[in-house]
Amino acid sequence: MTARIIMKMNVCGVRAPTDTVRVYTFSHPRRPHLPRPTPGSHVDLHLPNGQIRQYSLCGDPDDDAVYQIAVKREDQGRGASRWIHENLRTGCTIPLSAPRNNFPLAEEDAARHIFIAGGIGITPILPMTIHLARRGIPFELHYCAHARRTAPFLPLLNEICGPQRLSTYFSDAGDQPASRLDVEQLLKSVTPGTHVYCCGPQRLTQAFRTVAANWPERYVHCEVFKPTLDENFVPEPFDVKIASTGEVLRIPASKSALEVLRAHGVALPSSCELGVCGACECRYREGTVIHRDSVLDIAARQDRMMLCVSRARVSVTLDL
Amino acid sequence: MSESRTKWWGGRLLHIHIAPAAAFEMEELEEANLVAGRGIEGDRYFFGTGTYSPKPDAREVTLFEMEVLAALARNDPPVQSGPIKLEPGDHRRNLTVQGVPLHHLVGKRFRVGATVLIGGRLNYPCKYLEELLGLPLYLPLYNRSGLNCRIEKGGIIRRGDPVEPLDDR
Repeated sequence: MTARIIMKMNVCGVRAPTDTVRVYTFSHPRRPHLPRPTPGSHVDLHLPNGQIRQYSLCGDPDDDAVYQIAVKREDQGRGASRWIHENLRTGCTIPLSAPRNNFPLAEEDAARHIFIAGGIGITPILPMTIHLARRGIPFELHYCAHARRTAPFLPLLNEICGPQRLSTYFSDAGDQPASRLDVEQLLKSVTPGTHVYCCGPQRLTQAFRTVAANWPERYVHCEVFKPTLDENFVPEPFDVKIASTGEVLRIPASKSALEVLRAHGVALPSSCELGVCGACECRYREGTVIHRDSVLDIAARQDRMMLCVSRARVSVTLDL
Repeated sequence: MSESRTKWWGGRLLHIHIAPAAAFEMEELEEANLVAGRGIEGDRYFFGTGTYSPKPDAREVTLFEMEVLAALARNDPPVQSGPIKLEPGDHRRNLTVQGVPLHHLVGKRFRVGATVLIGGRLNYPCKYLEELLGLPLYLPLYNRSGLNCRIEKGGIIRRGDPVEPLDDR
């Protein structure tokens, strides 16, 4: 995976579109033009306590002067969103990586696009809708949220999509009847050649994956910022062989390959260490890999693995 | 003994850059403190947090020729699709110098301001830099990717300091 430059950026704007979501805008103290994101990209935020967190860029993808992210405060989370809400203000400086895209738009001609977003999961999809609307490419957006007042970017989405392309679903619709998106029903009507994208809470993405399980993989796009939990997985020790030197390292059950390699002086890029960001991707040559990440597709898994969470049966030879 | 002889080259320190950790953008300094046997105060190789810190090498301070940036800007030699405009902070070496023949300084001592450096090995271009900058630099920087040095005598260096040979050629 590509290394990305880390820039100390200034917070040049903060707004609160809902009670729990804040939108932060960042500019660079010296660069008028930032590394350009493609729709669906995310950046890494480097917090002062050493935590690194991924946030989707939700601004206009054609504006290379600023980056914009939306952070939902999750008091039950690992603490990053709370820290950001409490400490990050206009004028603050914080290190931010250049963008990376694990959730790109399918760019081929004549592609049709259907987006399913739940709550804060709208963030990577918002720039996609801007991109497509600007180019007159057909799409539909199905946006689910708890209530109208908790759905970030709703006025902007109305403006971009108009009523023909935007359908909203609110479980608490005030005096109106509640509405829920029936993913199965929606996907039944999809014509072949349509790309379907989903980002949102695990309940929504899981429903989406279940319905789309038999679709060709290239038409199904899902963004995951939380690792898929597999409580039954029991890690076992294995050996990592470094192809260039022949050195063999033992990875104990309690440690990741990334940790052991790092302790042996092999400097590797890494970021989330949860199998969702794609930073520590590594090629392998031989061995049966137990893939536990949420980034690599089946084709990529033939010769690549994520060293932070994926393991191997007995041994694996890494292209290092 | 060689004091009376004309120095066969003499150059100048144009820019000083450091990065606080691996992959962080380089920051320009007006002056910097070189610590013998360690690095430039505040730089990732001083802290041991650089991308290549775990690899054995003399990488206390790295130098790069301004002339190479000029050559890249005029697409010389034309090994890439066109001119490449690289700022002095972009190449990720610490000191950008002019009039200093880095290739001739492997194993040689030379002075930068009040400090003394020893040329280690010539740096080679890396895919890492290419990825960081999103530019095709591997081939354009081949054989001209700078010099890794050790610091024999530390001290303060400043932009504009003279760079001069100490050993005979």
